[in-house]
Amino acid sequence: MLAEGLNGLLGHTALIVGFAASLFGALALIAAIRLGNARLIKTVMPYGWLALGGAVMAVVVMERGLITRDWQLAYVQRVGSRDTPALFNFTALWSALEGSILLWLLLLAVYTAIIMHRYRARLADPLVGWALVVMFFVTAFFFFLALGPTDAFRAGVTPDFTACCKGPNPLLQNHVLVLFHPPILYLGYVGFTVPFAFAIAALVTGRVGEGWLVETRRWALFAWGFLTVGIVLGGWWSYEVLGWGGVWGWDPVENASFLPWLTGTAYIHSVMVQERRGMLRVWNLSLLVATFSLTILGTFLTRSGVVNSVHAFSDSTIGPFLLGAFGVVVLVSLGLIAWRGDRLRSPGAIDSPISREGAFLANNVLLALFAFVILLGTVFPLIVEAKDNRKIAVGSPFFDTMSQPIGLVLLFLMAVAPALPWRKASGELLRDRLFWPAWCGAGTLALSVFLGATDLAPLLAFTFAGFAGGAAIRQLVLATRRQGYRGLLGRTNGGMVVHLGVIIIAVALAASNSYTRSAEFTMMKGETVSFAGHTFKVLDVLDFTTPRTVGIKAEISIDGGQAYAPAISKYTAFGMDVPTPSVKTSLVQDIYLTLENGSKPSTGEAKIKVFIKPMVVWLWIGGTLCAFGTLLAAFPGKNRRRPTDAVSAPIPLDEVASV
Amino acid sequence: MSAASSVKRWPGWVLLAFVVAGCLAYGVTRDAGARTPEERVEEISKQLACPICNGETVYESRNTASASIRAEIKNQVSTTDASDDAIIAYVVQQFGAKTQLLPRASGFESLVWVIPGVALVCAGVGLFFSFRKWRTNVDTVPDAADRARVEAAMAAEDSGES
Repeated sequence: MLAEGLNGLLGHTALIVGFAASLFGALALIAAIRLGNARLIKTVMPYGWLALGGAVMAVVVMERGLITRDWQLAYVQRVGSRDTPALFNFTALWSALEGSILLWLLLLAVYTAIIMHRYRARLADPLVGWALVVMFFVTAFFFFLALGPTDAFRAGVTPDFTACCKGPNPLLQNHVLVLFHPPILYLGYVGFTVPFAFAIAALVTGRVGEGWLVETRRWALFAWGFLTVGIVLGGWWSYEVLGWGGVWGWDPVENASFLPWLTGTAYIHSVMVQERRGMLRVWNLSLLVATFSLTILGTFLTRSGVVNSVHAFSDSTIGPFLLGAFGVVVLVSLGLIAWRGDRLRSPGAIDSPISREGAFLANNVLLALFAFVILLGTVFPLIVEAKDNRKIAVGSPFFDTMSQPIGLVLLFLMAVAPALPWRKASGELLRDRLFWPAWCGAGTLALSVFLGATDLAPLLAFTFAGFAGGAAIRQLVLATRRQGYRGLLGRTNGGMVVHLGVIIIAVALAASNSYTRSAEFTMMKGETVSFAGHTFKVLDVLDFTTPRTVGIKAEISIDGGQAYAPAISKYTAFGMDVPTPSVKTSLVQDIYLTLENGSKPSTGEAKIKVFIKPMVVWLWIGGTLCAFGTLLAAFPGKNRRRPTDAVSAPIPLDEVASV
Repeated sequence: MSAASSVKRWPGWVLLAFVVAGCLAYGVTRDAGARTPEERVEEISKQLACPICNGETVYESRNTASASIRAEIKNQVSTTDASDDAIIAYVVQQFGAKTQLLPRASGFESLVWVIPGVALVCAGVGLFFSFRKWRTNVDTVPDAADRARVEAAMAAEDSGES
């Protein structure tokens, strides 16, 4: 083992300072709240800044270690190399477990500091105080992980450059999206700590009314937006680098990011029922607890080696700690909910299932069921292994079968819900409001059949998507007619823009999954083949070499036009082949070319695979629209309601009498 | 009644139902065209797990074990008349149960199919009883205690405490 160097010393010091600051910050704040001591509360701020300083310092020191190739650090030996390009050397920070915990820690410390700064004048308010206590405790836990089970600053053994120091996994050093996907996904993942902290604070203080919801509304939206963009970017990355032409494989790590997205999506819908009607208090708290604990459980499943995944990092000792944290979060939250049971009883009633709140409730039940099914499928191999000691795999055929009907019903609800009024809807009102959206659905179906679409599931998806799109556009048209461009702002209207994004993604997924055409050709240089209405001519087959790779690429002209060059690169240090697909993108379809093993530049023979994938680009357009809609939703709408305002016309007295 | 609202009465909806039913019937029953052998190989390989890697399908995986399974599927597709399901069963038999990606619908594994159904039924029953409870508990006329609570809240708001 090497002696601890400067970076190791600085890193450990930063982590110890950060850990102590978070822990003392939490304890000081608890004492201050209990004693009502205003002077003690003022001492909390420096602890927060110190914790942030510790996290920033740890990340900066690790980057310094990577950039200066400090081989004294075991982590740099594992993910660093002498010839990794600067960009990928920078992103190598989060290319393995220890560094990714540092990134998590940094974002958590930033969120904690922002909350502390934002509410600095209200730290004496027990709701804010307890929320910050929770943030401090979670931050302290991650500092603990970074210091103990996933110590990134551990000194390494004397490096043997023939075996070590190869750089990050080849898949993490061949596309620029490695710079964006993990941090953005983590911003979403970690961001759900804020509403969770306020939920716990509401339970501890007993202020379980609607006040804490208003505080956390934008935080939940912010986290949700980043999680959504992170997941879409992950799909794009997979499409660009994995060479199988897909965006989603139901891999456990993908599922781990999708689970909190589902419960988070349920929350940002059901929270509106609580704000408007004061109902579903326990449900909303449970959703936030579920979202936060699913981020911890997901990290446990995928980072402890219990579930096999292409994304999973190597085995480590982090598992028991994360599982323990998950248990503590669930037990404490459930205990608090039980303790506050009396105050959580909601005063109102949902008058009719055919109402906005009825639709939100149905959407919530479906999203929760969806999350449950995916969690079950993800952990089921573990259950079978524990019971029968045999390995099984639960993969995309199971998840596809399960998610199709749930997705279709969710699309249908997206169509109907925006037209429903709060409290109660009459048949006449629905007949009127849903008429044009329903015709949009019928029109979309007719157009897709005209364009050649087949099979029940995608046809239903297109129909409901058209219906839902019509409903969203109807709402936006009505709002902008009344309020001009401000009709695009606010939660309801921004939410409709997000709905349009989700609908576009649903259509693109249905089309690209159902109607992809593919074929494989072995061709000689100069040869042309035709497939699915396109011609492909091999212009050349070439060897190429870079400092890190040797590879083969084929130059292929599509329809006599520009040349596209799919390649296979062998990362010499790893002996691992990484495909580089080449894609001709258009709004209608992508032509996705990959070069297969067996191609021979010496004889001019190219083995290529062609995928014709309809509408793929709309996945990214839909994702962008989701991000844009989330921004619009974060702006206050024109007519902000006070909690005491009436939410809809009162029920006529004769109806009340008849109940 | 305006022309716009009269069109939304039942004739417009009936016409809509006919259009949707007609298009669905035509779209679902028409022939999607022949699949290329590669497309069959792909569809089959998406239903099978790579036996030596971490959770990838034979379709996604790039390693040699998956390549040999793909080659075997290709061989079966081009030389036999076996159906997709028969080829999947053949591969599972040849390359081991680890390649089975879809849990079986029998024995302990069937739980992964049954539990979601049970959860759906429970959710439905839960919702039914919730709505029934809400319906019988409609409490729209404020009583004296409600009025006192509102007055206290308004007074608190006026004095700037909230």
